[in-house]
Amino acid sequence: MKKVLVFLFIVLLMTVALPKVTITLWHAMSGSRLPAVEAIVNGFNATHPDIEVVAQFTGSYAETLTKAIAAYRANDQPHIVQVYEVGLQTMLDSGAIVPVYELAGPDFDWGDVIGPILEYYSVNGKLYSMPFNSSTAILYYNKDIFKAAGLDPNKPPTTFSELYEYGRKIVESGAAPGGISFGWPAWVFEQMHAYHAQFYANNENGRKAKATEVYFNKDFGIDVMAEWMKWAQDKVLVYGGREYSANQAFLSSQVAMLIQSTSSVGSIESKANFNVGTTFLPRIEGYPRGNSVIGGATLWVMKGHTQKEYEAIWEFLQYVMKTEVTMQWHKSTGYFPATNSAVKALLDEGWFVEHPNHLTAFLQILSGTRVPEAQGVRLGNFVAIRDVVDSAIEEALQYTGTNYKKEAKRILDNAAKKANTILEEYTMIYGK
Amino acid sequence: MKTKKSKIVLTYIFLSIMLVVIIFPVYYAFTMSTFNSKEAYSFPPRFLPSTHIWENYKTAWTTVNMGRLIFNSSFISVTVALAKIGLSIMAAFAFTYFGEFKGKFFFFTTILITHMLPLPIRIVPTYDLMRSFGWINTYYALTIPFFASATGTLLFRQLFLTVPPSLSDAARIDGAGPMRFLVNVLIPLSKTNIGALFLIEFTYMWNVYLWPMIITNSNNMRVVQIGIKMLLASEAQAADWNIIMAGTILAMLPPLLVLLIFQKTIMEGFSLKEEK
Amino acid sequence: MQRRFPNKVLPYLLVSPSIVVVIIFLVIPTIQSLYMSFFRVSPFGDRLIFVKLYNFTKLFKSTDYVHSLLITLVFAAAVVALGITIGLLISVVLNQRLKGLNYYRTLFIWTYAISPAVAGTIWALMFDPSSGPIVYIIKTLFNVKLNWMMNGNLALVIVIIAASWKMLGYNIIFFLAGLQTIPEELLEAASIDGASSVRKFFKITLPLLSPTTFFLLIMNMLYAFFQVFGLIDIMTKGGPGNATEVLVYKLYRDGFINLDTGFASAQSVVLFVFVAILTALQFKYAERRVFYG
Repeated sequence: MKKVLVFLFIVLLMTVALPKVTITLWHAMSGSRLPAVEAIVNGFNATHPDIEVVAQFTGSYAETLTKAIAAYRANDQPHIVQVYEVGLQTMLDSGAIVPVYELAGPDFDWGDVIGPILEYYSVNGKLYSMPFNSSTAILYYNKDIFKAAGLDPNKPPTTFSELYEYGRKIVESGAAPGGISFGWPAWVFEQMHAYHAQFYANNENGRKAKATEVYFNKDFGIDVMAEWMKWAQDKVLVYGGREYSANQAFLSSQVAMLIQSTSSVGSIESKANFNVGTTFLPRIEGYPRGNSVIGGATLWVMKGHTQKEYEAIWEFLQYVMKTEVTMQWHKSTGYFPATNSAVKALLDEGWFVEHPNHLTAFLQILSGTRVPEAQGVRLGNFVAIRDVVDSAIEEALQYTGTNYKKEAKRILDNAAKKANTILEEYTMIYGK
Repeated sequence: MKTKKSKIVLTYIFLSIMLVVIIFPVYYAFTMSTFNSKEAYSFPPRFLPSTHIWENYKTAWTTVNMGRLIFNSSFISVTVALAKIGLSIMAAFAFTYFGEFKGKFFFFTTILITHMLPLPIRIVPTYDLMRSFGWINTYYALTIPFFASATGTLLFRQLFLTVPPSLSDAARIDGAGPMRFLVNVLIPLSKTNIGALFLIEFTYMWNVYLWPMIITNSNNMRVVQIGIKMLLASEAQAADWNIIMAGTILAMLPPLLVLLIFQKTIMEGFSLKEEK
Repeated sequence: MQRRFPNKVLPYLLVSPSIVVVIIFLVIPTIQSLYMSFFRVSPFGDRLIFVKLYNFTKLFKSTDYVHSLLITLVFAAAVVALGITIGLLISVVLNQRLKGLNYYRTLFIWTYAISPAVAGTIWALMFDPSSGPIVYIIKTLFNVKLNWMMNGNLALVIVIIAASWKMLGYNIIFFLAGLQTIPEELLEAASIDGASSVRKFFKITLPLLSPTTFFLLIMNMLYAFFQVFGLIDIMTKGGPGNATEVLVYKLYRDGFINLDTGFASAQSVVLFVFVAILTALQFKYAERRVFYG
């Protein structure tokens, strides 16, 4: 009895006497992802009486980054900020961050982190930011439309030419007005490069040294673009804008297929009035196999805080990687769980049997070859380059002639020139 | 004034057609807010409301703690609208009733350019300034930087220029000072435009998003537009349009209330030329 | 006769609150930003390289920028013209003393209460190329498929309509307020003289309303040049290609999203000078035609 009392007294002392360490986290997760983030934070706070993590939604990724920069420059920065994958090079060069490997103790099991994710965010084998919401692109399709068009709903297309042929069938049979749609065109274009083991930029995609030249206007890029232009002209590809429109088209059964992030699985399944199928991305024949690449965002730890706070931060980041936590995150959002143990646990409890569409992405990314081309692209001011490529793709899709390759080359050469200028300006500031 | 019957009918027909066209986006947002998540994606599009109104509004309200957000937005919108009206009447009065004074042109242009300096490019220095004032995450930062109004200054300048000079002459002869003239003559004359401006400035502040997002850091300082952004889908998600639109319609109600209050003022402001 | 109070100090006292606010919160931070137009700046501001006029020469050498400038002119002219004419037309009709018009007025003005970001979202949804209700209606009625994200000119038209729609409530409020100051006896007298409604409108209403119209002209112009980035960001992101990339959106992208402070500052200097000149011209020439009682 006495022991219990002493114990209780100590616990009381700990909670009352010790000032709590407050950790601020700025993130860009809205919609149904917002409660998922809050669940993690609340779970952590409930089990860590001496630490309080305050998560704050800070707008889109771009807004979050700008806010963090403004705050950092006024010496008012948060502890942790969520930054999108295209901000990777910016963050690495910022001088404003503490790499997470420096926070980690020697006993942390890095081997458990899912390989492609770990590689994407590592520099020389060391992890710089904590994987949080990672995803990749897969092909979604509408089984009902496939049936209506006389196609086998369990045989989705595996190649570009199959996809085109199916698309034609769907449109001609009147099963749907369009074959396929996708948003984030530049991102899909990047995916295609990695998926076929093609470099997107020199210096091994900017991972060996800073990239100074993009490669997307080479033969492969031209081939992909020319295909898309043909699809668009034949109404197989319906393009509706850089963001949400493709989901609209797919969910309202106006197209039969969709290339989209795996993190949409849950939201798409819950809103579809039809049977949703998922499969690997289509391939172009004649090019080698690579792997689809990671997208999403990670948690960056910012400079300028106390040792005690960094210990608390590491405590929190470890919690995020915990099997149950990251499993729950996967279930409620569709993003990859961060560790292999979590994948195993999901498998063991039968999650993938009940939700086969959640499995597709794992199979795709774990069955791909792990070549340097698919480890992820690292470019200076990648955001601006994506914008250039988005514009180029949109310009190409408006083409009405028939000399696809020539036009694709012209547009991509032009875009590459702009992208190279952006890279040159980046190295102007940071050196090579 | 007598109006022919055919003209009245034409008026209603014309207005009704325009109304359908112009209000359609709002109506569409409203119908969206009554669907369930599958109906929101049905095709062909549905044009009539469904039955899920209650749960959508409830979800929108509770997910983002709408009550607090509406309180904050109302507070800053009313404060800023009142301050803008006060400051811009004073400035416009100075520009119209004191002839050419030194620096007049400079002052006038300085106020006018407030619309030409987009926020996105000056975020970093402004944040720094707020930090040095200790204003981060406070109502000061959400209100005071907005107090000057190019809209108001120009509006009242235009209005004061149409006021017959005989009025100020009479005031001067009676020995009334400029401030008394402003308060007793010009402000009552401007009632209509004060009402209109209040409405506009209230709505403007109500809809401000980027600045509050940058300058506030805690849930109890956030504003309505941030709440709506929290409902919107991030990245590649398929959006919950029904919930988002419920939030949108909720966010449109307080401005409607202000509109109803001020409509009388705007429409029944008396004509100043009748005073002659 | 002149409106004039002989007071030397009072005008300064009257303008000072506005001036202090503008200078502290707007002018000084802006100048700090604009100074950056002579530098290449790293996103976190830790590296600054003085590049003289590099950002400006880059701007004027870029064919994209010239294209963007042309689009902006078309966009601004169309938004101002549409907003003002339709706003005026509706307001004049709404201004009649007829039963029930109150409801109409409220509803018309209410559209202004939608925030720019939400307005963009709603328009993007309504015009969604495959599932949008407007696209559907047009397809059903005219059998035309409105895929504006694969047609730059069409995209520009739709963005123009959305932007003018956003400003319509604003224009109606001020036109209505302005119409209240027109004495009814004047119009009645004209009616007795047998003037038609159209004649009355052009001879009496329009001149007497010109102070308000001039005010709205300036405000709509500033709106079209400076305040549309939120709407465009949501509807098109400047696309397809760069068909809707107006100057302020390009500035927003380069400064805010691409974090290229130096280049964005150079752009905002150019945009500022350009619009300041336009505004000055309007004060100089258009204001001559304004009738101040």
